[in-house]
Amino acid sequence: MIRKSRPALGPGEARSRQRDMRQALYIGFAAIIGGVIGALTGAFDRGEGHLFGTDWDKLELDPGIAIVIAGLLGFGFAVLPLYGFRRIDELKRDQNLIAFTGGATAVLAGFPMWAVLHAGGFGAAPHPFGVWMLAFVGMIAAYLYARWRL
Amino acid sequence: MKNRLKVLRAERDWSQAELAGRLDVSRQAVNAIETGKHDPSLPLAFRIARLFDMPIEDIFDDGDAA
Repeated sequence: MIRKSRPALGPGEARSRQRDMRQALYIGFAAIIGGVIGALTGAFDRGEGHLFGTDWDKLELDPGIAIVIAGLLGFGFAVLPLYGFRRIDELKRDQNLIAFTGGATAVLAGFPMWAVLHAGGFGAAPHPFGVWMLAFVGMIAAYLYARWRL
Repeated sequence: MKNRLKVLRAERDWSQAELAGRLDVSRQAVNAIETGKHDPSLPLAFRIARLFDMPIEDIFDDGDAA
């Protein structure tokens, strides 16, 4: 069987491939961190709660495990994204800034709206997980808007 | 802002990935600039001008020339 040789990559294409590879490694590493957090929380929870759920306050962990998971969460939600933020180009930085703005705006507007609606007899009282979800969903929605509409 | 990036790239038979690598940006950034969805920063515009060995105003046109 004759094997076709690949056409030689130009210097720019090679660098682009390296960039894509770095991004894939970054996403893979972030997924592993997420998996480790989920596995630790699931394996060591002595209560009935879930970390990302309205029953988060029923979560019961040993102090040592709690510190390890808190460290991993800080790494996964703060250190890793901030590191990634320094590596991306200006287009993706713009998109990420819009995403973070969307998340912050969702909480700034969403929490007081939720509070007054609750005061008026609509729905449950604001709770921490709900506020976190406001930020998260606001961020994702703003990112998708920036990615496909702007 | 209009630009001639796609034409200049085609003249050199470069793919978007090739140009992106030479500019140290993502392929998506090159595509966004070519389609007018993203205006490059001044530092990136200078890098583009240097790469093509042309003045910035010969590549980018804000439609406001006197």
